Amino acid sequence: MAERKPPSAAAWPPRAELTVLNHDLPRVDGPAKVSGRARYTHDVRLPGMLYARVLCCPLPCAEVTLDLAPARKIPGVEGVIELMTGKTGYLGQPVAAVAARTPEQAEDGLRAIVLTLVPKPWAVDHAQATAEGAPKAGRNGNVSKENVAGDAKDAEAAIAGADAVVEATYTLPVQHHACLETHGVVVDYRGGDQATVYCSTQGTFTVLDDAPGELGLKSSQVTAIVDHMGGGFGSKFGIGIEGKAACMLSKQLGKPVHLMFDRADEFVTAGNRSGSRQTLRAGASRDGKLLGFVGDVTKLGGTGGGSFPGGRPYIYSFEKSCVRVRSVYTHTDSARAMRAPGHPQASFAMESLVDELAAKLAIDPLEFRKRNLKDPVYRRHLDAVAREIGWPDHPNKTAPAALADGIGVGIGFAVSTWGGGGGDGCEVDVRIDRDGSVVASVGTQDLGTGVRTYVAAIVAEEFGLPLDAVVARIGDSRLASATPSGGSTTTASLAPSVKNGAAKLRGMFAERLAKTMGVDEARLRFAGGRVADEQDAKKSLSWQQACAVLGQEGLSARGTHQSDLAANGIHGAQAAKVRVDTLTGRIEVLKMVCMQDCGLPLNRMAIRSQIQGGMVQALSYGLLEERVIDPQSGWALNANLEDYKIAHPLEIPEMVALVDDEDARGVIGLAEATVIPGHGAIANAVFNACGARIRDLPMTPDKVLAALGKVG
Amino acid sequence: MKAFTLKNPTSLAQAIEILGARTQGAARGSHGKLQVLAGGQDLLTEMKEHLVEPEVLVNLKGIGGLDAIQFDAQGALSIGALATLTSLEEHEGVRSKLPMLAEAARSIASPQIRSVGTVGGNLCQRPRCWYYRNEHAKCLKKGGSECFSYSGLNKYNAILGGGPSYIVHPSDLAPALVALEARATLRGPAGEREVPLERFFTLPTEGSVLRENVLAEDEILVRVTVPAPAAGMRGTYLKFKERGSFDFALASVAVGVAIEGGKISKARLVLGGVAPIPWRAPEAEAALVGQAMGDTAWKAAGEAAVRGAEPLAHNAYKVPLAKGLVFRALQSLSRA
Amino acid sequence: MSRTSKTGDPNPSPLSRRNFLKGAGGVATGGVIAQGLLAGTLGEEGAAAGDVEELSGEVEIALEINGEPRKVKVEPRTTLLGALRDRLEPPLTGAKLVCDRGQCGACTVHVDGRPAYACMLLAVDLRGRKIRTIEGLGSPAALAPLQASFWKHDASMCGFCTPGFVMAIQACLEKNPRAGLAEIRAGCAGNACRCGTQPQIFAAALEAATQLSKGGK
Repeated sequence: MAERKPPSAAAWPPRAELTVLNHDLPRVDGPAKVSGRARYTHDVRLPGMLYARVLCCPLPCAEVTLDLAPARKIPGVEGVIELMTGKTGYLGQPVAAVAARTPEQAEDGLRAIVLTLVPKPWAVDHAQATAEGAPKAGRNGNVSKENVAGDAKDAEAAIAGADAVVEATYTLPVQHHACLETHGVVVDYRGGDQATVYCSTQGTFTVLDDAPGELGLKSSQVTAIVDHMGGGFGSKFGIGIEGKAACMLSKQLGKPVHLMFDRADEFVTAGNRSGSRQTLRAGASRDGKLLGFVGDVTKLGGTGGGSFPGGRPYIYSFEKSCVRVRSVYTHTDSARAMRAPGHPQASFAMESLVDELAAKLAIDPLEFRKRNLKDPVYRRHLDAVAREIGWPDHPNKTAPAALADGIGVGIGFAVSTWGGGGGDGCEVDVRIDRDGSVVASVGTQDLGTGVRTYVAAIVAEEFGLPLDAVVARIGDSRLASATPSGGSTTTASLAPSVKNGAAKLRGMFAERLAKTMGVDEARLRFAGGRVADEQDAKKSLSWQQACAVLGQEGLSARGTHQSDLAANGIHGAQAAKVRVDTLTGRIEVLKMVCMQDCGLPLNRMAIRSQIQGGMVQALSYGLLEERVIDPQSGWALNANLEDYKIAHPLEIPEMVALVDDEDARGVIGLAEATVIPGHGAIANAVFNACGARIRDLPMTPDKVLAALGKVG
Repeated sequence: MKAFTLKNPTSLAQAIEILGARTQGAARGSHGKLQVLAGGQDLLTEMKEHLVEPEVLVNLKGIGGLDAIQFDAQGALSIGALATLTSLEEHEGVRSKLPMLAEAARSIASPQIRSVGTVGGNLCQRPRCWYYRNEHAKCLKKGGSECFSYSGLNKYNAILGGGPSYIVHPSDLAPALVALEARATLRGPAGEREVPLERFFTLPTEGSVLRENVLAEDEILVRVTVPAPAAGMRGTYLKFKERGSFDFALASVAVGVAIEGGKISKARLVLGGVAPIPWRAPEAEAALVGQAMGDTAWKAAGEAAVRGAEPLAHNAYKVPLAKGLVFRALQSLSRA
Repeated sequence: MSRTSKTGDPNPSPLSRRNFLKGAGGVATGGVIAQGLLAGTLGEEGAAAGDVEELSGEVEIALEINGEPRKVKVEPRTTLLGALRDRLEPPLTGAKLVCDRGQCGACTVHVDGRPAYACMLLAVDLRGRKIRTIEGLGSPAALAPLQASFWKHDASMCGFCTPGFVMAIQACLEKNPRAGLAEIRAGCAGNACRCGTQPQIFAAALEAATQLSKGGK
């Protein structure tokens, strides 16, 4: 074949020309999900499958010995394994696992294990961990080295010259991901050289990092399946200790093993968002300019370090700043990434601080923000959400509302930032068959963002087909490789590869059709389910007719990442309106609004869902959620969905999700950004409603009443 | 859940015989070998947490006649112990004649629990205290020697009537029914006895700290009767939940007032979520009687309702909260 | 295993109350009505002491699930959710196990037309009752109107809570096809969604309610 130039790099069409993308697309796996037919790891049932459970240590630190023999005598129990003995490192550490024929028998087996605990001194919270002579939870003590950015003297000098200064301590609790599908796997290894691992994970291919080694197989001998997964939010990478236990049991017993954490396990040993304690000092000038900032930040990440966006004050521009960040270690499980790690913590404290300064200076908090945000995008977003929430007509902009019958109504604001860019690592096979079917295949996973839908949509757009003409196959490690889903990087990593593959394939197909149709390749248009000469309407084939020219082998192309189709760096602003009953401390969120940019919106409906979902999670974090461990006894007191409260339907206010259509960039992931500012906006709204400044999350009624000076 | 034998009696006589013949010395209230199953919405969670591990469950659901809700000719209401919370909430007569009771029923848990959970089960449910509910905590309520909430994380515990245990009674029907002057009928081997519901519930210092009521080992709560409300009585049940959707009460108030000639002539006021029993507040009732409905009376009633409160380290907020709820509940009655 | 039923057959005998009710045409849609009826027929002293059904160990029972009789081996402690997901052949895995304590709604099913948490019911206690699961409502190829509305409004993201929400709201709308937003919210107040799809769920339910109240199916 004559040498020819590679097809020119793909580009997103002008938005006005899009017929599938940038529209509201009902997700392609919707019917399976709404009918209960979508198969999650939890739902996998295999012949001869055993049910396994893990035993978690109920104390934060203890010397553990195990007698497994009684468990082996329980009817139905087929395997009992030790995961660790000796001194445990954290509350909830898995120490043993049991596999049995029924879930009931697995529980019987688990409870028959004789677990002998000699309690050792522990530290489960900030006070215990930083007390003199505290038992060590971290390898090198309980307080990490400080990370200092900026010059403290300069910052203090700037504060000294300020007209208004606020110093306050803001605390945020440890939050749980509370994925509805708990962590777990089904390992199907019945001997031989092939195994399949079904896993509830954010990275199909991360399963191949650990499982083959545990099974004594090569990664080429193991298939990972992630058909659907019931929520991850940053907590699900790799197979974890639970996966390792299931591999050990399956290998030992030669049977498929189903091991999902139960809810209590999930709470104590499946990760969390690190708690945060921030003592901040800041000053501003009379005309509303932020001058100096000194931040002293502690992350509480259990045995891990926790997260915080360090380096400089969060988003807002100060003339001089100094931020110190350290970790405090405790005998609780390691924090994991959780939707925008560190940002919701930083945002709450900063947005509260900024609001306190604005109030002190009696400046409209919206104007105050706009004066101190360099990026004009934020000003546009703030204005948009302010209009939507009714700020222009709001009566009490610079002081708390005058209470009517003990009830105040207030509005608050906050902003967010995130990356959301992508990178190499996703490859996508796009294929057309002579019967007209189109398939895009990639091993990636869908956390609920709608990956299947936009993969199919990008291909449909390329070929001028309706969405349902394209099938997206995902969640299988035998398909083309893909990166794990973390940091909202999936869209910006995957979508360009899909586009690139689809464009390549279109070029190849056009070349074939040009010959058959006797048309110049450059004049072929794919639109409306037809392939036509753009200058001669008579030269036109239906999609079926066009595909019929292909041989039995069909036509396929592999897409790779094309960086100019994606971008990085997003902004968002949120506003919340609340009603506070000062007699009871009840906060009712009336409305939340978000404007978010995200480059090219692939599926507008899924994007609105992400935005609203972020606001729901922020509301829940702000008003309800907090992990409670009793420092005296070491017991996890709310490791269940009754006492660990997440927002239910009656908590959900009216929500408005606005997509910033002025952002002309390529695709960017937005999911994480949307969870960052909501609780800060609510806290500011509470202050605006009634004057109660709550610096400690969650904003429960006891804290509202205390902030109002009503608790004696 | 530990394995058990399920017995399905079809008559009360059978059920009581099984209860009477139980293993000697086993207590139903704590780690009893025998438990009575009605809707199971509390009992099954206790069994799943291994707080109780009965060998035998005596299932009352096969017994006929225990779920009726009916008014007699005099306007008194009889509610069978096995009536579901949904059937109470939806009962036309209850909604129109005793709205406080319908409101209390509707405030409970979730539609799924209300359609299975029973009136008797709601009144006899065990505490929600997170120490009690923790299998590892051998607390006073489970035969241990310590109430961990006293010096522990006691945000949700009692401010009134506490000691030596500081649980709060979790029932929403209880405050409403006590406010309505209901009576409980208990059936045992010797037949039936009736007690005012107010005296059905017991403080930790009364009877056994292991239990929350006077029900004997071989007795079954079979029905609750509510006398016809006094002329002009209007009532409401106001429940404050930390999570509005689905939660137990941080505090609640059941209040009824009759107004004659512009003045309150009769009042009943009972707090929930603040004490180990539904907390009748006679001082608050007295503070209302003779007053006109209005801010002054409502505030005074709130103050009187929590008089004597002894908050623990983390629950002092319940004092202003209860006062605020009393105010809001009375206010809503004046608007109705 | 160690079945010790005194009556021998754990399934309703011809004289048991449930079959009696069937014979009398008395099994109505609501358990309340059926039990109320019973009061007048058998009377509370009806059966002789000692003639008490006793179940332990593994027993085979018959359940009516989605209109079909299904046999399943369970223990008395097996929950309906356990029976559906882990014991039925083939299993029905649409109802999800999330909290196992009646706190989240992911396992919501209908029993005699009423919503219930399948994790909080004993399977053996449901003989003679009509059980409906998400699989009985519609299939991907033939979605029920509420399911179609969920799809249209993007009311599921990860989707793990979705079957429970659909069943809770379906029960709410069957009770009152004219349900407004407040009633719909209360109808699913016992259901948790971690992705935060509630706004879309409300929109989906409201649209389905509008269709239903106009006389659509």
